[in-house]
Amino acid sequence: MSTTEETKTNPLREGLGTRTVPQACTIVIFGATGDLTMRKLIPALYNLAADGELPPAVAIVGFARRPKTDDDFRKEQEESTKKFSRQQVRDEIWDGFAQALYYHQSEFHDANGYKTLAERLKKIDKERGTGGNRLFYLAVAPDQFEPILKNLKDAGLNQPSEGGWARVIVEKPFGTDLATAIELNKVIRTAFHENQTYRIDHFLGKETAQNILVLRFANAIFEPIWNGRYVDHIQITAAETLGVEGRAGYYETSGALRDMVQNHLLQLLCLVAMEPPTDLGAESIRDEKVKIVRSLRRMSVEEISRNVVRGQYSEGAINGESVPGYRSEKNVNAESKTETFVALKVRVDDWRLADVPIYIRVGKRLPKSGTEISVHFKKAPAVLFNRENVSLDQNVMVIRIQPDEGISLRMQAKVPGTSFRIEPVKMDFHYGTSFGKASPEAYERLLLDAMSGDATLFARADEVEEAWSFIDPIEEAWVAKENQPDLFMYPAGSWGPEEADELLARDGRAWRRL
Amino acid sequence: METAKQSPHTPPLQHSTSPGLRVEIGTIDRELKKLWAEGGGTKTRASLINLAVYSEAPGSLPQNTRIISEITEDHACRAIVIAADPGAKENRVEAWINVHCHVSREGSKQVCSEQLSFLLEGPSARLLPNIVFSQLDSDLPLVLWWQGEFSDPMDPQLWAWVDRVIYDSRSWRNFGTQMERVEAAQTEAKQRIVLCDLNWTRLVQIRLALAQFFDHPTSHAHFEKIEKVEIEHAPEFRSTAILLAGWLAGQLKWTDGKQSDNTTLDFRGPSGNQIKVMLREKSGAPIGRCAVRCDGVEFIVTHAEKADLLDVEAGERRCRLPAGQNDAVGLMGEELMRGGPHDVYLRAMNCVRDFL
Repeated sequence: MSTTEETKTNPLREGLGTRTVPQACTIVIFGATGDLTMRKLIPALYNLAADGELPPAVAIVGFARRPKTDDDFRKEQEESTKKFSRQQVRDEIWDGFAQALYYHQSEFHDANGYKTLAERLKKIDKERGTGGNRLFYLAVAPDQFEPILKNLKDAGLNQPSEGGWARVIVEKPFGTDLATAIELNKVIRTAFHENQTYRIDHFLGKETAQNILVLRFANAIFEPIWNGRYVDHIQITAAETLGVEGRAGYYETSGALRDMVQNHLLQLLCLVAMEPPTDLGAESIRDEKVKIVRSLRRMSVEEISRNVVRGQYSEGAINGESVPGYRSEKNVNAESKTETFVALKVRVDDWRLADVPIYIRVGKRLPKSGTEISVHFKKAPAVLFNRENVSLDQNVMVIRIQPDEGISLRMQAKVPGTSFRIEPVKMDFHYGTSFGKASPEAYERLLLDAMSGDATLFARADEVEEAWSFIDPIEEAWVAKENQPDLFMYPAGSWGPEEADELLARDGRAWRRL
Repeated sequence: METAKQSPHTPPLQHSTSPGLRVEIGTIDRELKKLWAEGGGTKTRASLINLAVYSEAPGSLPQNTRIISEITEDHACRAIVIAADPGAKENRVEAWINVHCHVSREGSKQVCSEQLSFLLEGPSARLLPNIVFSQLDSDLPLVLWWQGEFSDPMDPQLWAWVDRVIYDSRSWRNFGTQMERVEAAQTEAKQRIVLCDLNWTRLVQIRLALAQFFDHPTSHAHFEKIEKVEIEHAPEFRSTAILLAGWLAGQLKWTDGKQSDNTTLDFRGPSGNQIKVMLREKSGAPIGRCAVRCDGVEFIVTHAEKADLLDVEAGERRCRLPAGQNDAVGLMGEELMRGGPHDVYLRAMNCVRDFL
C-alpha cells in the first residue's frame, strides 16, 4: 500500500473532501529568488495555507545563491506575495506561514551546500514534524538540473527517509528536442525514479483543462458522437496579445512551437482526443494520453511545408497602440527567424479520430488573448433544412480554457416569424457566472497534487519524448539548408499570416472567430 | 434590481432586505420577464439550484431576503422565500419578485439570481407545496432550507420533491422528536433526501483541524490510546459539542455511549479502553476549544480570540487554520459548496442521538 493510500485511511478524513490529502513535507525550492518563486510558488503556498488546504506540518526552504537570512527571505516573499496573491494577505495568517519559510544559501554546484541542506532538513523535520518527506522544486533553467540532481543524489537527499518520500518537480522546458529530452530524463533518472518525478505543465492545473475529462466522460450524450463519424474537425487555439516581453533571450532559442505546442497544446489535444481511461488513477490517464501523442501522424518534409505555417509578427497595433515588430524587440536578433506564430494541421491515427483533422494555432501579438478548443461537428444531412441554397452552420462545441472559462454549444434555431429562417444560436456556460467562488490557481492545485503523490496532472517521461519526436522533424525542416519552408510575416494585431487561413481554406474550412 | 459587491478587496455594500416588486401569484412569470427586460440585456441570469427557504418566524422575510442577497454572490440560484403563519386567523397570500445582482469576478458583467417571496397566512399556508412546485426552475435540484422546528404532520407531497433538506438542529427544543419527523417524512417521500444539519456544518473546520493531526500513518496508533476529549462550547451550543463527540465516536468506532452527568459522556474504545468526553460551557465561539488527549500527547484546537482562525497545536508544533463562520450566510455557503452525501453526519448523530 502506498503512503497516499494509507493517508486515505485516516477515518477522521471521511466526508471532509474528495481529494487525496496532501502530506506533511519540506518543499525545497531551487531558484528561490527567481520570478517563478515570487510570482507563483510562494503566493500559491500562502493561498493554500489561508484556505486551510496546506498541511500545518509543511516547511518551505528557499535554495539560492545570494546570501540572505531566513528573515530577509521571509520579508522579500511577504512583499511579493502581497503583490501577486489571488487573495489579500492577512497578517495573522502570514505570520504563521512565514515561520515555515527558511532560506538556504549555496551555489547549485557546491556539494557542501547540499550536505548542510541535508542537516538542516533533518532539523526541520524534528522542529516541524515534516516526517522526512521532501519535495524538491527545480524552478531553475534546465542547464542547472544536472548539478542540482547530482548533488541531491550525492547528499542522499533523493532517497526517501524511513517511512517518508522524496519527489522532484521539474519545470518546463523538458528539453529542447528529443535528444535533449532523453538526456534530461536520463539525468533525472540518475537521482529519481519516474514515480518520484513530477513534470509540471501549468495548463493541466487549470480548472477547464481538468473539466474536459468530466465533460467527455461524465456526460453520456457527448461520448457517442465524439468520433470521426460525427466530428468534422477540431481546432485548438492559444492566442495572446502580448509580445515576448522580457523573455526574448529564451524565446529566441525556443519559438512558439517549442514554447507552447510541444507541451501545453499537445496536452490539450491529448485530453480532447484520448479514450476513456480504465480508472482515474495517474497511470491510467497518462497511458491514454501517451497513446494519442504516439498516434500523431509524423510528417515528411513535404507534408510539413503543406501542413505547418510559421509566422513572425512585424510592426502593428494592439488595442489601438502601435507595437514594434519582433525583430525590433530588445535582445532579439535583427534577422531572427524565430516563429512567434505557428499553425498546424495534424492527424491522430487512431480509430476514434482517424478522419478528423486537428488544426492547432498559437501566436503572439494577435488581436485577442484566449485559449480554447472547438469541436466542429458535421453538418446535418442535406435534406429538409440543409439544402443547397440554405446551407446550415455546423454545431460547434467550444471549451474555453482561458479567459472566461466555460463551454458553449452552437446550434441552429428557427428565427421567429412566418418564414423558415434558420440562424445559429449559442448555449453558453460560464464558470464565473455559475460558480461565484474563484478557482484556485493552477500552481495551487499542482503543488497539492505533488504533496499528495498524485501525478495525474503531470507529464510522464514517455509522453514528453513522444511529443518531441513529433515536433523534431518540423524544427529540423525549418533549419534545413534546402527546401526550408518560408517564415511568413504578419502585422501585430492580425490573426497571423494569410497562409494560416489558407491551411484551412483549402480543406473548405476556416478558423473559428474568437 | 438590487446590485451588490463582489470583489474580495472591497468592503461589502448594504444588502437588500426588500422582497422587491409585489405581484399576483398568477403573474409571476410575466412580471419576471418584464423585470429582465428592464435590464436591457446587460444582466446575466444564473441558477444552479432551486433554494426554497421556509420560516414561520415573524419578520423573517426581510431577514431572509438579506441572507439570500449575500448567498447568491457565490451560489447562483432561484430562491423561493416563504414566510408562513399557519396559525393566523385571516387568510392571506402575497407574493413579490426580486433579482439580486452581483458583479462577476471578472468585473465585466452582472450575474443575477431571482428571488420569489411569499407570505402565507392562515389556511393558505397549506398551499406551500403547490406554490413551491409551480415556481421551480426546471431540471435543477430543490434544496429546502427549513428554519426552526418541523411541524407535524409534514406534507409528504412536498418532501417527495426535495433533494436536500437543510435545518439547524441547534434551535430544536427536542432533537429526538424533530429527527423522527424528518425520518418519517423521508420514508414517506420514498426517496433519499440528503439531510444537512447546519449544526454539523458548524463543525467542518474544527473537524478538518482535528483530522490533519492524524494524516500521517504513524499517528494512527494514537487513535487506540485516546483517553479523554475536552470540548469547550458556548452556552447555546451544547448540541454542537455533542455532535463533535458523536463524530469522534462514529469515526473511531467508540461504543456504549453513556451520559454520566450533564458534562460527561463515556464511551468504550475498540480495544475496550474507557474514553471520557468532558463538556465545558464557556462564552465565545460555538466550539471554543477541543483537546484530544492520548498517551501523554495532547492535540489541541482552539478558536483564536476575536479572529476567524483556529490555533492548532500538538506538542511544540503550532499553526493557524481558518475557523469558518457561524452566521447563516457563512454556514449556508459552506453547506451549498460542499454538497455530497452526509453519511458521516448520520453516523455521528446516531452515536449521540440520546444525548442531544
